[in-house]
Amino acid sequence: MNTTLNINRLGLLFKRYFLENKQRELTFWGITIVVFTLMHLAGAQEKSFSVEMYLIISGFIFAARTFKAFNFTPSGMHYLLIPATHFEKLVTAIILSTFYFFAMILVTYTIGTVLGTSLGNLFFDTHNPIQFALFQSAPDFIVNGHSIHKAGNALLNTFIGFAGVQSVFMLGSIYFKGNAIGKTMLAIIAVSIVLGIIEVFLLKATFGTYHLNGQMLNLSITPEHNMFAGAETVGTIIKYALIPFFWVVTYFRLTEKEV
Amino acid sequence: MVNVQNVTFSYTKRAELLSNLSLTLETGRIHGLLGKNGEGKSTLLKLISGLDFPKSGSIETLGFNPTKRNPDMLQEIFFLPEELPQLALSIANYEKVYAPFYPNFSTEQFNAYLKEFDITDKTSKLNKLSHGQKKKVFIAFGLATNTKLLLMDEPTNGLDIPSKGQFRRMVASAIDENRCLIISTHQVHDLDSLIDSIIVMEKHKIVFNQPIENITKKLLFRVADRNEKDESVIYSEDTLRGLYQVCENTTGEESKLDIELLFNAILTKKNKIVKLF
Repeated sequence: MNTTLNINRLGLLFKRYFLENKQRELTFWGITIVVFTLMHLAGAQEKSFSVEMYLIISGFIFAARTFKAFNFTPSGMHYLLIPATHFEKLVTAIILSTFYFFAMILVTYTIGTVLGTSLGNLFFDTHNPIQFALFQSAPDFIVNGHSIHKAGNALLNTFIGFAGVQSVFMLGSIYFKGNAIGKTMLAIIAVSIVLGIIEVFLLKATFGTYHLNGQMLNLSITPEHNMFAGAETVGTIIKYALIPFFWVVTYFRLTEKEV
Repeated sequence: MVNVQNVTFSYTKRAELLSNLSLTLETGRIHGLLGKNGEGKSTLLKLISGLDFPKSGSIETLGFNPTKRNPDMLQEIFFLPEELPQLALSIANYEKVYAPFYPNFSTEQFNAYLKEFDITDKTSKLNKLSHGQKKKVFIAFGLATNTKLLLMDEPTNGLDIPSKGQFRRMVASAIDENRCLIISTHQVHDLDSLIDSIIVMEKHKIVFNQPIENITKKLLFRVADRNEKDESVIYSEDTLRGLYQVCENTTGEESKLDIELLFNAILTKKNKIVKLF
């Protein structure tokens, strides 16, 4: 028997999730369709920001509940004793909180957009076209004569950002016992403050000042230096690497979990 | 089946809950794990099943290191905790979800045990059942998994009087030479005529671990006259029914084990009793 990843056990873990959370899932699907329908009822304006906000906020609430079993010791014991590997439990959690949730939002967004726009046209006698702004690529923008791609595809970009947030909150859900959302947010704020302080000291070391006061605008960056391309590559690597990094930390946290 | 060697465990750095504890458990037996509150009985069960990790020493459960929580080991363990998990599932769905994880699970047995406990409606939601009812479902499920190792922490807590008898009957019929059951309890009367090995914990250590046949061979349990003087008496309790005594069995006479009396005798006259074994 494959003791690391067994497809049958993985299937059983998914079955377990959906049977245990059937009511909650159906409710959430319903609410999300209603929200997206209402969002698109009023008109054809750009809605992708609102949709992305809804995706991120509902997503991290969902992710922060991934290991909610550990909030109550007997439930945590029950979860840890399910005959499946830690890896299988983690893979299930990742698929549900990231891929399934994103797919669910896309499906409900599509249904909501079609329903909302159609009903809006019907009730308000308008002729708005059905537009899926979330699926459309963002336009390139130019800095110092360089074309900066918003990762080419807006949907992929949204997904990467979403997966990053989910991975952080999933780690938070196993790291903190109780109120994982609040504690994870506090941890993010604390880390941001530390990074901000480091940034300020780097500024001092690099430019001899704690605040730039617009000096950056005087910097001459020529196309030959290709500074933005390098920064973009590093940023992309960090962005992509952070997600599996948080997954790996979650895995080790799960293997070391005691109740 | 279970081999615990020199295990030390603590939740905090200051107080050790288990101290250099060693224990070997054989298959085919129902072990009664007795001890006062806070001695570490539940913790020992958690360590055996891999829910907690020892600070030092080693544990082997069914040939596995329990801290790895290998599914091959977990599918041969069922742990019934004192407090039960909160699950928004019907009994039927609980069976549907969790039974496939246990290769030897028997639906027939599960239904028979539920019937014996007088639970007929499998559509009832677990989180809507009373603690006692829920416990019955988990006992029935645990026995029906046919796992090699069954760990039960205070299984009779919350059960009504008839159910305690049903529990004893079910457990007695479910155990065979391939299975091992460890029952942690301080309700010793509930285990009367059920357990066949007694483990006593005191001051975070195992101070006594003997099969019943050894105990009754070495010790005599009797009710004596208050005026009777006997040098072989190790421990006695004065009750309304008479003087309950634990004596050294020098004659080879058979007597019925009184678990509560033995437990109290071990706690008060530990050295004298341990020396006999």
